Amino acid sequence: MKFSKIFRTGRKSRRRKTAKKKFWQRLTKRRLLVVTILAVLLLSALYVVYLDFTVRARFEGRRFALPARVYARPLELYQGLRLEPAELVAELGLLGYRKASAPREPGSYRWQNRAVELVTRPFTFGDGPQESVALRVTFADGRVAGLQRLQGGASLDLLRLDPALIGGIYPGNNEDRVLVRLEEVPQRLVDALIAVEDVRFYSHRGIDPRGIARALVMTVSGKSVQGGSTLTQQLVKNFFLSAERTVSRKLNEMIMALLLEAHYSKDEILETYLNEVYLGQDGNRAIHGFGLASSFFFDKPLMQIDLAEAALLVGMLKGPTYYSPRRHPQRALERRNLVLSEMAESGFISEQQLLAARTLPLGVVERPPRGTSPHPAFLSLVHRQLRRDYREKDLRSEGLQIFTTLDPWVQQAAEKVLSRQLQRLEQGRGLESDSLQGALLISDTQNAEVQAVVGGRYPRFEGFNRALDAQRPIGSLIKPVVFLTALQQPQRYTLATLLDDSPLLLQQPGADDWQPQNYDQEFHGQVPMSTALAHSYNVSTARLGLELGVPEVLANLHRLGIERDLPGYAASLLGADAFSPLEVTQLYQTLASGGFRTPLRAIREVLTFDGQPLQRYSLEVEQAVDAPSNYLLTVALQDVVRQGTARGLHRYLPVELGVAGKTGTTDDFRDSWFAGFSGDRLGVVWVGRDDNQPAGLTGASGAMTVWGEMMAELDPEPLLLPVPDGIEQVWIDPATGLLSASDCSGAVELPFIAGSAPTEAAPCGPKSVGKSLKNWFERIFQ
Amino acid sequence: MTLVLRRIVPLVVMLILAGCAVMPPAATRPAASQNSAVVALLDKAHRQSAAGELEQAGANLERALRIEPRNALLWQELARLRLDQGLYRQAENLAMKSNGLAMGDRTLRAENWRIIGQARSGQGDFSGAQAAFQRAERE
Repeated sequence: MKFSKIFRTGRKSRRRKTAKKKFWQRLTKRRLLVVTILAVLLLSALYVVYLDFTVRARFEGRRFALPARVYARPLELYQGLRLEPAELVAELGLLGYRKASAPREPGSYRWQNRAVELVTRPFTFGDGPQESVALRVTFADGRVAGLQRLQGGASLDLLRLDPALIGGIYPGNNEDRVLVRLEEVPQRLVDALIAVEDVRFYSHRGIDPRGIARALVMTVSGKSVQGGSTLTQQLVKNFFLSAERTVSRKLNEMIMALLLEAHYSKDEILETYLNEVYLGQDGNRAIHGFGLASSFFFDKPLMQIDLAEAALLVGMLKGPTYYSPRRHPQRALERRNLVLSEMAESGFISEQQLLAARTLPLGVVERPPRGTSPHPAFLSLVHRQLRRDYREKDLRSEGLQIFTTLDPWVQQAAEKVLSRQLQRLEQGRGLESDSLQGALLISDTQNAEVQAVVGGRYPRFEGFNRALDAQRPIGSLIKPVVFLTALQQPQRYTLATLLDDSPLLLQQPGADDWQPQNYDQEFHGQVPMSTALAHSYNVSTARLGLELGVPEVLANLHRLGIERDLPGYAASLLGADAFSPLEVTQLYQTLASGGFRTPLRAIREVLTFDGQPLQRYSLEVEQAVDAPSNYLLTVALQDVVRQGTARGLHRYLPVELGVAGKTGTTDDFRDSWFAGFSGDRLGVVWVGRDDNQPAGLTGASGAMTVWGEMMAELDPEPLLLPVPDGIEQVWIDPATGLLSASDCSGAVELPFIAGSAPTEAAPCGPKSVGKSLKNWFERIFQ
Repeated sequence: MTLVLRRIVPLVVMLILAGCAVMPPAATRPAASQNSAVVALLDKAHRQSAAGELEQAGANLERALRIEPRNALLWQELARLRLDQGLYRQAENLAMKSNGLAMGDRTLRAENWRIIGQARSGQGDFSGAQAAFQRAERE
């Protein structure tokens, strides 16, 4: 509008008008041009400032996200440890130790008959660095007989091996890397990189016009499609930009490369490049940086790689998948040799070195050291426990070192047995194959360290973790809590107290009538408490629980380690409430450790990425049950195995071990449970179906068989119970619950809290009329 | 004033009782274990404890307990360490745990009760402490 006004006012003479118009037009054009140029310059400047800001901010804070590394327990060797040479060698195999005819290097060993010689790797534990030790381990009678240093033969009291890596907790993009400093990088690797990727790296300023020109010529002439990117540009591309191939992206890349070079030294740029690049894939884990690539391909630190190995790694940069030495060894070999030739051409290596290196094999180890965990179920327990104390972001980026309690051999045995036994159960009972599922946990009875977690029959599959997340009614596994609540009142209840196992009908306003039944659909009249538990009678247990009060029983359940609040119905007394196998393990842990509640621990300690101690998860105990009551209950649980519902365990374990346990079965055989402990280990097993349909298994025919097979493989220690003060052994007549004697028929010996044993004698008991008569007859017929 | 009396007097009484209940000389104690690894770890824990490295001492006691989880003396050592750290609740519970495994070892049990007494008085439970010291005397 404004312009047209100007034109209108200028209509005085035609000439003037034309001249004026031209002038204005010129002026406007020029002005526009100037304004435009200025605007473009300003915008460009702003844009460059923005890019500069981006580049600097990102590069200054170039803290690579380092995944947390998760380790198994370290194996401690000492004289007397139960261990076979083959087991030690298996552990060394797990740690990636190599066989050698004369072990000298850290991480090597030799096995000869009853002795293993090895050189340990240096390792930093929570209590500081541990130097490499060369030693001979001798064996006798299934135990370690001695540990001697290879030099000098001095004997060692104790040796801790380095722990096996069992996985990582990775950043969101699943990038894994091991950071290296430039001074840790062998010169031959840098030489190879420069020879192949960017010959003028030390002389250009971020972009290399000669390189671009050469690339252009090569591309136009169709000889090859060359990038012409400098290392700086490649770094910028990886660091800041997407992978698209557009002119604007290329332009951004060049500007940023120039900016990067303006601000930072060549060494800083090179070091960042070496740690950033992508070099391979391991499942969904991306291998980044030469530090990790060196251990991933050669299983050794970057410092130790030779010329040929350096050339191989550099050669792979062009296409880590295409030139993968594991999948395409021939291609990788040719590429490596090409890199070597280029190095010779650029004068980095001599002709002799070239010839020598070309003849070497690839040197890649067949199996990469562990990255993604073979035990995802255990790892998820670790992750969950860590999340209480750390932010998720820190777990995935700070390079924390997590030392766990996992025992690789217990874990492997547990995984193997669960898969195998579920298959057998399906075959043996004509069940649809793959219909059964299961979960189990194993812990140390005294310190509550979790040694194994299996979340399903396919343990490598990182899916639904039944050990932690499946909530199932626990059936009779609750009964020990009911009985314990009774035994804690010794003036009212003892193991000999007769319980009423006759029909029970509970009528409550606002609730359905409750009429519990026994498994055998029969009622057993008057039964001693120990028998009711051994045979898992429902009716007498329910009646006992009602007598004690549901809230009292549930209060005990909390004391024993169940943290959730429960509404508390009469049916809770028979295990209608659902718990995870992990919760059940915590519950039984308290019983197994003599009545001391000890929180289950999967982690011992956490160190920072450079080995500084960050946190220790120390052993904590809290007495939850008095020693005498816990003792009585444990003896009754041993009786469950000796002659009750779990007597079938004798097919797997010798009776003398005295293991204690309890079976659990739920309505319509939907859930099959077994929880039990030996002297050294507690195990909890659940078997059932994911769709919660009847599995057709009782606790004894399902879960207990898994437990038995598994414990048999672990060579359990006997359960020897220390007898607390004030416990006395008394012979009882089970029919009447009255005093009896060892020579009376059917008499059983039971422990009592002092003063709680019956005083009245049964017909055959001491001082009874029956006893006197019996003695009289015996005297006559002797 | 009465507050001071209420707080201070029982404490003084406790300390006197605790003083009476001093351990017999350590020379009469049997070896902590037949296992040389356990003995070595225990020695290390003692050295660390003397040097004020209480966390590390605890870690090594736990290592020893992994080798001999039913060694009542090791549980007692851990209880005493927690007492030194001022973790009275843990000290008391660990000493109870040690008692549960001590069987007939009266000297060990008496010492556990003394630890329990000190831990209780540390928590302000003076009557509980007194009861524990009396138990120690009866062992």
